[in-house]
Amino acid sequence: MKLVNAILIAAAEEPHRDDNGQIVTHHWLLPEESEIIYGTAASLIIFALLYKFAGPPIRKGLAARTERIQAELDASAAAVSDADTEAAEIRQAKGNIDEERERLLAAADEEAAALLTDGRARLEVELAELEARAAADLEAAAGRSGDELRSEMIRVAGASLEEVVADTLDDATQQELIESFISRVGAST
Amino acid sequence: MSDEGRIDGYARALFEVARAEGTLDEVEDELFRFARTYESNESLRETLTDEMVPAAMRQAVVEDLLGKATPTTVQLVSMVVGSGRGRDLPAIIDSLVQRASASKNLEVAEVRSAVPLTDDQQDRLKAALTNATGKQVNLKVVVDRSVLGGIVATVGDTVIDGSVRTRVDQLKSRL
Repeated sequence: MKLVNAILIAAAEEPHRDDNGQIVTHHWLLPEESEIIYGTAASLIIFALLYKFAGPPIRKGLAARTERIQAELDASAAAVSDADTEAAEIRQAKGNIDEERERLLAAADEEAAALLTDGRARLEVELAELEARAAADLEAAAGRSGDELRSEMIRVAGASLEEVVADTLDDATQQELIESFISRVGAST
Repeated sequence: MSDEGRIDGYARALFEVARAEGTLDEVEDELFRFARTYESNESLRETLTDEMVPAAMRQAVVEDLLGKATPTTVQLVSMVVGSGRGRDLPAIIDSLVQRASASKNLEVAEVRSAVPLTDDQQDRLKAALTNATGKQVNLKVVVDRSVLGGIVATVGDTVIDGSVRTRVDQLKSRL
């Protein structure tokens, strides 16, 4: 009530005027008392209204936000838990894969060793056969070469013999051979 | 008719023609030489026996080759070749020579020599062969370089071989 009275008194107060009759403030910095009173009253009213009408939705919104953040935190914790579980499974699976890989590698090594042993044995047999065949071929070739060489030598010797004989048969020899033949045939009965 | 009969038929016909012409000795001798040339020359054989070559062309070849021979010889060979019996020509001629020799009671003596024989050598060889075989011979000399040297004489089934070729072959077989 006092406040209202103070407001009314302030409202009824005559404003200050300068020499020209213009209304001026009583101090260059400080407001008029009425302004302080009206301003303070208006602010209080605003605050009261804000508290009454805006407070509950704000509190509700904050609560909802808190709840949402909590939910997100819970979800994150669950995701972390799931990730840990998955990581554990992956680690286990990796362990299984490593075991499988080791098993496969061991089997492959075993198979390779068997193949190598088998291949070596087969190779040795084939090598022995090849050596035997090569030896036989060499022997046959040597024999053939010998025969061919002998035949060639005989052929060359024969041809040379014929050439040498033909070269030595001059006219005189030819006539001598003819006369010898005639004499020999004439002498035979 | 067998080939032998046909050959003999041709030989008899040629013989009768040559005898009728009165040129039997020359024709016989020329035919014998032609037969030996024919035997030793492969391209001549192929030409005269090739049925793809027209008969007129084959006869022209014969006439070219026997240009200096008696007309009877040329006509007889030309007739045999023209009738497509060129392949049988040596056998026909040999049969004719045998027939001609037989008509004169002679035995054909085929003599192969690396070099030609002189008339004197031929006479002495004929006498020697007559002495050796006891038969009168009709000497036919063939110059055959493959003999190399000496002589090979064939009288009927008898072969008297004094050729260098045979000795060289014997040496080769020993090798």
